[in-house]
Amino acid sequence: MRRKTTAILFIVTALLWPAAAPAADKPAASPNKPGALTLTEAVMCEGIESYAPKTPAVVFSINIGKVSCYSNFDPVPEKTYIYHRWYFKDRLTTRKRLYLKPPRWATYTSIQLREADRGPWRVEITDKDGNILKVLRFSITD
Amino acid sequence: MDSYSFLTGLRWQDVLDIALLSYILFRLYILFRGTYVSRVIAGLAVIWCVQEIAQYLGLIVTSWIMQDIIAVAALIIIIIFRNEIRNVLQAKNLRAIFWSVPDKAVETPLEVTIESVFRLARHKTGALIVFPGKEDLDDVVRGGVVLNGDVSKEIITSIFKTESSVHDGAVIIRQGRVYKMGTILPLSRQEDLPSHYGTRHRAALGLAEVSDALVIVVSEERGDISVAQDGKMTDIRDCFVLSGLLERHLGVLPKAGTEQSEARMHTMVAALVSVLFVTVVWFSFSRGFESIMTMEIPVEFTKRAPRMEILETSVNMVNLKLSGSGSLIRATRPDQVHVKLNLENAVAGRNTYTITRENVSLPPGVFLKEADPRAIEVSLDAIGQKELPIQVDWAGHLADDLVLTQVTVIPDTAKVSGGQRNLKELVTLYTEKVSLDGIAGSGSQKVNLVMSQASLKLLPGAKQKVELHYRIEKRTAEKKTDG
Repeated sequence: MRRKTTAILFIVTALLWPAAAPAADKPAASPNKPGALTLTEAVMCEGIESYAPKTPAVVFSINIGKVSCYSNFDPVPEKTYIYHRWYFKDRLTTRKRLYLKPPRWATYTSIQLREADRGPWRVEITDKDGNILKVLRFSITD
Repeated sequence: MDSYSFLTGLRWQDVLDIALLSYILFRLYILFRGTYVSRVIAGLAVIWCVQEIAQYLGLIVTSWIMQDIIAVAALIIIIIFRNEIRNVLQAKNLRAIFWSVPDKAVETPLEVTIESVFRLARHKTGALIVFPGKEDLDDVVRGGVVLNGDVSKEIITSIFKTESSVHDGAVIIRQGRVYKMGTILPLSRQEDLPSHYGTRHRAALGLAEVSDALVIVVSEERGDISVAQDGKMTDIRDCFVLSGLLERHLGVLPKAGTEQSEARMHTMVAALVSVLFVTVVWFSFSRGFESIMTMEIPVEFTKRAPRMEILETSVNMVNLKLSGSGSLIRATRPDQVHVKLNLENAVAGRNTYTITRENVSLPPGVFLKEADPRAIEVSLDAIGQKELPIQVDWAGHLADDLVLTQVTVIPDTAKVSGGQRNLKELVTLYTEKVSLDGIAGSGSQKVNLVMSQASLKLLPGAKQKVELHYRIEKRTAEKKTDG
C-alpha cells in the first residue's frame, strides 16, 4: 500500500514539478526522441523521503548538514548510467556515477556540508557521454 | 659613468640650454660693456671659479662664504647699478637689446674734435687747433697753458668762447689729449693771402710753413673751416674731408680696416668666452657632485594591440636608482619620471621586457643608474567573447520556517569579453552577495553582477544590474528540517 502511494506521489510530482522547479539551466542536449533516455525531474532538496525529494529549494542552510540532488528518468530504454557532477564556485568537488535501469528510474546523490561550503554551488547532470542534461544551481548559506 | 659619458648623454635640450644661456650672457656683455656693471659681473665670475676650486679642495668655509656672496650678488648688482641698468634699457630699443652689436659707445678724440669744430663754425666762434706731426713744436710756438686733459666737446668749445682768457690762442692736441691751450703760433709772412683771412688764418699758415703740423682754423667772421698744412690753406666744407685729412696726418687707418676687424674679433672672443663659461657652469651644475636617489615608479604599458588583453604582470612598480647633481636630484618629482613598456610586438602568452634607458623618461640632467627589477614579465591574451549563465550568490540566513523554492534571473545570461584563456575557464557569472536576512516573503530586487577578473568586461548592451524574482514558501510540517 505504502509503495503504491509513493509511486503515485512520484508521478504527480513529476507532472507538476516543471512549473515550480528551482532555477535551473536548460539542458545543453535534451534527448527527447521517443524511446530515448529522458530526464523528467531534477531538483535540489534537503533529503529523500519515501523515494521523493524532501523540501526542494534553491537555498539551503548549512545547519541541515546535508543536501541532495534528485533526478528522475522516464523512460530509461536500456541499462545505462548518468553522472551527478557537483561544483563549488565552479570547481569540481565530486562526481558520482549513478546506474539507471529500464523502464524508469529515480536516483539521487547527497553531500555532507562543512563550514567551508558556504557559497554558490551547481550540479550538472550528464549522460554517460558527458552531455549535460540539466544544471541545478543553489547556494549554501548560514 | 666613464669620462665621455657626459658627452654621449647630452640631449638636444641640453645643447639648447647652453646656447640660450650663452646668448643671454653675451648680450649682457654687449649691453653693459664699458660700464662698471660688466666689471662687477666679471668679478663675480672669478668668485664663482674660486668657490668651485675651494669646494673641490674641501675648503669648507671659503666655499661657503663664496657661495653666499654669489647668492646675494644678483641683488647687489640690481640695487647698486640700478641707474646703469636703467640707462642701458631705456636708451636702447628691443632690437638693440636682443640682437644688434653696436660699435663701441666711446667716441675717438678725432671724432670729438671734428664734431666740436663744426659746432664752433655753426656758432661763428673763432678757433685754432693744432695737430703736431713728427716735428717738435716747442721751438716754434710760444706760451700757453698745459692742460693735458681728455678731448671733449665741452672742453674745446669752452676754450674758444670769447669769455675765455685763452680763446685767442691755439689748442694743441697731442696723442689724443688736449696738451696745451692759449699757445701763440708764428704768423705767416706771405703777402698774397686772400683779404678775408684774418690773424687766425695767418697764424695757422705760419705754423704750417715752418713745421709738419696740421692746423684747423675756424673763422670768427664767416664761420668757415680751413686746414693749413705744408704751407697751404684748404677750405673745408665736409666733415668727411676733414676726417680724411686728419686720419692721413695722424696715420690713423680708416675704420673699415683694422678698427672694425678688431671690433669684430673682440665680439667673437666675447661670444666664445660666453659659450665656454656657460658650458663649464652648466656641466658643473648639472653633472658635478653626483647624487643618487631611489624612486618607486609605476610601469605604464603602451601600444598594446587592440585585440590583446593584459592578464598578468610580474610587477606594477619598479624601483629606479637615479643619479645627477644634488640640486637636480632633489628637484625631481615622481610625476616627472615615467617607465613605459611598448607592447607593440607582444605576443599572446608570456613576454619578458628588460628596463633600459629607452624605457625610462627622466628630467634633463637626471640619469638612470639601475632598475629593480630589471626585467618585467607581462602575460597577454587575445580578447574573446562568451555568453555566461548568471547565478545568484545568496548569503545570510533565511528564517527557519521559510523555504526559497524558486529564483528567476532576468536576463539569465550575459555576454562578456576578456582574455580567451581566462574565458575558457570561466563558466558562471555571479551576482553580488544577496542577503537573505530580512526576507520574509516572495519578492524581487535588482543586483549587480560581479566581474571576477579585472580584464573581464560586459559587452555593450549588457546590463550591470540584473533582476531577481524569488518565491518564498512557508515550511510545512513535512518540510521541516531535522536541523
